[in-house]
Amino acid sequence: MKTSVKKLALAVGASAALMAAGQAAAEIRIGIAGPMTGPVAQYGDMQFSGARMAIERINAAGGVMGEQLVGVEVDDVCDPKQAVTVANRLVNQGVQYVVGHLCSSSTQPASDIYEDEGILMITPASTSPEISQRGYELLFRTIGLDSMQGPVAGNYIVSQNPNRVAVIHDKQQYGEGIATAVRDTLRDAGVEVAMFEGITAGDKDFSSLVTKIKQANVDFVYYGGYHPELGLILRQARQADVSSKFMGPEGVGNKDINTIAGESAEGLLVTLPPSFDEKPENQDLVAAFEAKGEDTSGPFVLTSYAAVQLIADGIEQAGSQDPFEVAKALRAGTFETPIGTVQFDQAGDMESFEFVVYEWHSDGSKTSVN
Amino acid sequence: MQDLLYFSQQLINGLTIGSTYALIAIGYTMVYGIIGMINFAHGEIYMIGAYTALIAITGLATLGVAWLPLILLVALLCAIIVSSSMGWAVERVAYRPVRGRHRLIPLISAIGMSIFLQNYVHLAQGSRNIGFPALIDGSFRFGSSEGFQLSLSYMQITIFITTLICMIVLSLFISRSRIGRACRAVSQDLGMANLLGIDTNRIISATFIIGAALAAVAGLLLGMYYGSVDPLFGFIAGLKAFTAAVLGGIGSIPGAMLGGLILGVAESMTSGYLSGEYKDVVAFSLLILILLFKPTGLLGKPEVEKI
Repeated sequence: MKTSVKKLALAVGASAALMAAGQAAAEIRIGIAGPMTGPVAQYGDMQFSGARMAIERINAAGGVMGEQLVGVEVDDVCDPKQAVTVANRLVNQGVQYVVGHLCSSSTQPASDIYEDEGILMITPASTSPEISQRGYELLFRTIGLDSMQGPVAGNYIVSQNPNRVAVIHDKQQYGEGIATAVRDTLRDAGVEVAMFEGITAGDKDFSSLVTKIKQANVDFVYYGGYHPELGLILRQARQADVSSKFMGPEGVGNKDINTIAGESAEGLLVTLPPSFDEKPENQDLVAAFEAKGEDTSGPFVLTSYAAVQLIADGIEQAGSQDPFEVAKALRAGTFETPIGTVQFDQAGDMESFEFVVYEWHSDGSKTSVN
Repeated sequence: MQDLLYFSQQLINGLTIGSTYALIAIGYTMVYGIIGMINFAHGEIYMIGAYTALIAITGLATLGVAWLPLILLVALLCAIIVSSSMGWAVERVAYRPVRGRHRLIPLISAIGMSIFLQNYVHLAQGSRNIGFPALIDGSFRFGSSEGFQLSLSYMQITIFITTLICMIVLSLFISRSRIGRACRAVSQDLGMANLLGIDTNRIISATFIIGAALAAVAGLLLGMYYGSVDPLFGFIAGLKAFTAAVLGGIGSIPGAMLGGLILGVAESMTSGYLSGEYKDVVAFSLLILILLFKPTGLLGKPEVEKI
């Protein structure tokens, strides 16, 4: 009995020592929060792949202020409730910087927690304008806003001189936000918006909607939302002989839409951030991704890479690991990243971010149209 | 003219979706009719049917089979076999051990079953949408007016005909066969049927299996009709089918059929003439209204107070 107590005490002592050693080793922990599972998990893959690569390369180059970066990955399923849970988990793990979240509806509640707890957050994907309208000090993004993307899409539609346009959205923050921006741009330009209607995300049957589009006799359909619904709408529309041109935001621009819509995806128009992976100065980086067998063509791979890099650069420039100091440095400086020269405004949004209209093809490739 | 065509098109859309609601609703209503409980895992059984059919179709395609009737038959059989075994297993795991306890217990265990199956498919098949090949392509076109043409796709016709055949076979089965008669006896009085020598356990299993088989048929049909499946495929469809069963009078098989059709048409008319946003609002308001004036549903029999 006595010996076993002694052994136990030894074991406890040893493990306590180990834990202390773990903490003593200098490291900067960066939370990476996005969907690993759920309906939009493929966007999460882009985010995790970009962030992991940035951490790997920064560490290989000696880390930040001599300390190594460590990624703490959590899954928010793109669900606002889950986002709050994982945000609290990151707080408890002592994380001071977060790259995430992906969906605007997750970023919004999670950012409240980060702001309260003094954690600096950079979202590489959330485009809802409301997120940065709350005057948060520790919130940044490496992506454009719906309010920038909507007008790009709207102006493109106007340039095609359509007679009547239908604007459909999925009633979620992201989809409805962009759809509203598109509708307003169209109205201002005097284009008739024949339909402005919401659908339920997760629905499968769009036959009634398609019939309505057909009857409204529109030549352009804009859809604000994600690919699972648009894929089905496209497929069902083509089966019902609807020949209107379809257009969507970057939430529909990934290869999964081809799995769902098949041939019907041919000719779909998508507004996307420019293909950063085609820039000559990024070819080294693209080669590094390819060496790991990873794809850089997704819209959020390099924005996530840039988010991690900005945290690292911010710390270097502030000369401190205090998130408030880092935030000040980020607002003050100009940074060279794979997504171009980044300069933040007071709200934490990028001073300029470009969106380009692409035409999508049924084999999953895309070509620029402007 | 265009208005009439538009109306007919929305009617066709509504009847198509309604008949598949009816197919799924049968599973809810039969189980309720016999043991007085709701099988909340039924939507998942339907989803598994769709996945199994897709796996069978993909498998046959890699084997080089190109003869459509054979592909459909094999896919249908595989879906029915896998879904029926699932239906049977759900009864054995989630219902039989707790039968006769408080009514809430099997309800909760069925919801647990539903969450388990959904997440199992998430893990086994991934959470992404998987494309379903359009095996039955093309459509009939009727009268054209101001560029609007009425179209009735071969797939919609397949759905109508298959649903009709399933309903006729089921009605004959219930009214003519030995098991069917036993089913009716058990639904009238489980204890008495037991005393009279009916193996009630077998009959309850049979009910789950029949319901699951019909859900598998609906899974294959809707997988092809919509063109993609995902692990949440069964959730909304299950909810709607359950509503259809309650609307028609839960426990009544013709009621489930009627309820499915009414719900489908109500939904498509709402999104056709009002707005897609109000589709579910109208469908569920209809349910509340009918239950207010006829609490047992359209064709449900009032429950006789047993003394």
